[in-house]
Amino acid sequence: MTDAESSAPPNSRDSRRTYELEDLGFNEVPKKWRKFYRHWTGPGDELAPNEILCPVCKVVIRSGREFRPGDKVYCMPCMSRMVVVEGPGGRLEAEVVF
Amino acid sequence: MDELEPHSLGDEEFDDETHSFEFWFGAVEGYLSDRPYGHRPATVEEPLDKRERDRLITTLCNYCTGETAALEGASGLVRLAPNHNAKIFMATQVVDEARHLEVFLRRLADLGVSDPDAEIARRANPALLEFKAALLALVGNEDWSAAVFAQNVILETMEYTVFRAHADNADPVTAEVLRGVISDERRHLGFGETHIGRGLADGSADRSRLQEVRGDLEAMVLRVFEDALDDAGVPPDERPELGRDYLEAVDRLGMAL
Repeated sequence: MTDAESSAPPNSRDSRRTYELEDLGFNEVPKKWRKFYRHWTGPGDELAPNEILCPVCKVVIRSGREFRPGDKVYCMPCMSRMVVVEGPGGRLEAEVVF
Repeated sequence: MDELEPHSLGDEEFDDETHSFEFWFGAVEGYLSDRPYGHRPATVEEPLDKRERDRLITTLCNYCTGETAALEGASGLVRLAPNHNAKIFMATQVVDEARHLEVFLRRLADLGVSDPDAEIARRANPALLEFKAALLALVGNEDWSAAVFAQNVILETMEYTVFRAHADNADPVTAEVLRGVISDERRHLGFGETHIGRGLADGSADRSRLQEVRGDLEAMVLRVFEDALDDAGVPPDERPELGRDYLEAVDRLGMAL
């Protein structure tokens, strides 16, 4: 949503876009992890390719690179482990893994 | 992108990190350090009329009852927790629940309630007292999975929904107090879903037993929180579908009816 795409060329090992993450004020995890999460503002909140919504606690989870199906993703605010899947219409979603 | 991301941790590393007191310290420091009793001292009280004040007192009395149930439940669950991470996490939850009870009691005092015990006894929803007795019976029977399901999935998930709706409609001081509690609740409901889900997956939790607990308790808690939304004065068109988050959780656990 708000992260600048990195000016560096994509990593040679894969062609994903990368992002420079900024702290967006999410203060519910220790400082070193804060930029990897942000508050969700509701159904109109458009997620960037490097963001995904936690279905358990409704926090936006972020990464320094775009998400792809099969990626492992962790929500620290609610301690849930998830995997990225392709949902209806090709939208990426996080599915909880127990 | 060479820095460590949470998503690049191993599963055990992630669990060790998030269940620790160190993690808890770093988390609560972010949203509580400048908020004695849950709100900034500079936040200005909004005048409440007599009816609004009375309804808020009833709501807070019920929150105190729910938090007392969770405090007593969580403290009993520390002994039953099956591993170190679960014990340490449950100890952090005990601290959270005690803080919630304290800030709600303080808010009652702010509203002029001089004898909170008597007020809570007079106003507590009978269904919530029934839930509390049932939860503590599960803990007393050392039924770890059933008690975690009752406390951290049923109670915490519905509290999370109600507190968010109430915070959006509350006076500024109550809203700040609630937002701090909501931040804690994310951990509690996530712990519940994760541990019940893993228990169902590895066979240490009995699905039929949890369905039985669900049948006994969920309607009770749903009724309590519907009443709480009434008392909190949340307008009907601004009410969330109270059971939605909870039903999504039981669906993810493979326990949908």
